[in-house]
Amino acid sequence: MEAREATGTDGGAPAPEAIADFLRRLRTGVEEGLDPLNAAERAATGLPSSLRSSVERMARRMRGDYHEDEWGFDEEFAEAAFPLFEFLYDNWWRVAATGVENVPAHGRAMLVANHAGSLFPFDASMMTLAIMKEHPLPRWPRFMVLDWAFVLPFLSAFMRRVGGVPANPDNAAGLLESDQVVMVFPEGVRGTGKPFSERYRLQRFGRGGFVEVALRTGSPIVPVAVVGSEEIYPKLAESRVLARLIGAPFVPITPTFPALGPLGLVPLPSKWRIEFCEPIDLSEHPADAAEDRALVFEISELVRETIQEKLYENLVKRGSAFL
Amino acid sequence: MARGKRIAITGISSPWASDLARRLERDPAVEFIAGIDTEPPAADLERTEFIEADIRSPVLSRLLPSTRADTLVHCAFLWYPAPGKPDRALHDINVIGALQLLTACERTETLEALVVRGSAAIYGCEGAAPLFFREEMARRYPLKTRFQRDVGELENYFDNYARRHSDVTCCMLRYQPEIGPDLDAPLVRFLSLPAVPTQLGFDPRLQFVHASDATGALEAAVHNPVRGAVNVAPSGSISLSHILRLARKPSIPIPHPLFGPALAQLGRRLGVGGAYSDGVRLLRYGRGVDNTRLRSEVGFEPAFDAAAAVRDFVTKHHGRRLVRVPGPGDIANVVGSS
Repeated sequence: MEAREATGTDGGAPAPEAIADFLRRLRTGVEEGLDPLNAAERAATGLPSSLRSSVERMARRMRGDYHEDEWGFDEEFAEAAFPLFEFLYDNWWRVAATGVENVPAHGRAMLVANHAGSLFPFDASMMTLAIMKEHPLPRWPRFMVLDWAFVLPFLSAFMRRVGGVPANPDNAAGLLESDQVVMVFPEGVRGTGKPFSERYRLQRFGRGGFVEVALRTGSPIVPVAVVGSEEIYPKLAESRVLARLIGAPFVPITPTFPALGPLGLVPLPSKWRIEFCEPIDLSEHPADAAEDRALVFEISELVRETIQEKLYENLVKRGSAFL
Repeated sequence: MARGKRIAITGISSPWASDLARRLERDPAVEFIAGIDTEPPAADLERTEFIEADIRSPVLSRLLPSTRADTLVHCAFLWYPAPGKPDRALHDINVIGALQLLTACERTETLEALVVRGSAAIYGCEGAAPLFFREEMARRYPLKTRFQRDVGELENYFDNYARRHSDVTCCMLRYQPEIGPDLDAPLVRFLSLPAVPTQLGFDPRLQFVHASDATGALEAAVHNPVRGAVNVAPSGSISLSHILRLARKPSIPIPHPLFGPALAQLGRRLGVGGAYSDGVRLLRYGRGVDNTRLRSEVGFEPAFDAAAAVRDFVTKHHGRRLVRVPGPGDIANVVGSS
């Protein structure tokens, strides 16, 4: 018993005896006619606490005993995917986030950011990490994802579980009405699909649909400037034929993709800066202000200029793109 | 005001119509209930008058006025084949039946309200769709399957009728699929399979209306019909993978291009007929609808949310597990014996 207690501390590899003991108990449990999941939970009592909690958590999930919200967000799943993104955040891209406290700690808010990273845009995930790691009251933001991702296997299920929803005004409005933080990328494919030579030059902000949603739901807009996302997959050219073949909006050709095959999917280790700007309060406008085209364009342009200005500022602060 | 409600129900042999009639029979405010169908109702109905008639035949135009009904509940719109209603007759029953029924309604001068048990299939199942469709979002996407086009025609006919008869309140209920421990429907049979085929890499968000809520919503609409379409769905949504874990069912992931042919084969055993292609799309992209109008305007609060409806089904449905689920015990056996 003492020996097991000693191995029962967190950290460090568990002793092989503890695992063998676990499997032995598991087998007796199953032989006694217990349900495999119950048997696993009972057998786990002898394991080190960290392992024990993961066995228990697995058994609970296998039993369906977890919560998914109405939008399909699965917090436990997102937490499980967190370490991988944390590695990218801390070590790979060395993200420096500023102004995170500008994200409201309570209630609805719309984060509007520039969009880049041709092959696979990571900006939403890095903004999520910045909020989860550095905000005094962290909460999971939700984000809008290009429609095409939701007809693809695996990607669609993954995106939904970590808080992504298909990009359309109805989904954005619905999430904001349930007081979530929602990240939108008004540039859309125009932002991710632009060539490397046009990096950090903001594209057209759609027709200002995001402003209409913010006005209608009375949500403050937090402009966000993301620097570093443009260099992860520099788009040199694109393949129209391939895009038409698989129905993708575009298929980029980067220095490493598709030349290096799957290795080309590894993003380049650029240095990132994310700046969350002062929120723009829209509560002074009535909800029907969304019908006012001039106002919508004015606010859209204000947000766009703020982001563009902060992009240039942070580019200077960052210095070299990779070192 | 002494006169009670007179209600006519089409498709009385279906479980949901029988259920409705059973509830209405207990209501003293209901004076008379007529049930129209080709098959007699299986249930123990006491004061429901059964009228044997085919909804597709013009005879309805004489029968319906003679009931002097003030409320007509159209439950004969079929999602899948039923006894005496084979797959190839579905389109006729759904479309021609609706036309004949509306012709009969024109002749029924006592009519005040028309409640239709329709389908949320009108919204379609799309990957990039709004996660919760509201009533005004119908027909954003082209109708792709035969069943969807039938729903589209049904809604067209009733919209036209509603426009020409402003004195009759037409209420189109758009139902999500039903689930319930005692319900025998293709999707319920599908979820009761020993191992459930899924589409590799897809995990649709679904909503199942609990059978008791489905009847409750129909009853609420009979008492308080509102103009236009109303979604009938539980609050929230649940993913297919979560359903299968709650039901402790193993899944058989099939690459999605092969899922259609597989379900077509399976569909015959499940009794879904030609509507399996709706199932393919539903089980790939899922569909969520907003039930605000049902709760606030019809005034019906579903007792089960999306997860609770599935939990209730799972705990009360005594499906036998035909295939043993491989679990950690098997690994332990392998390790232990070596």
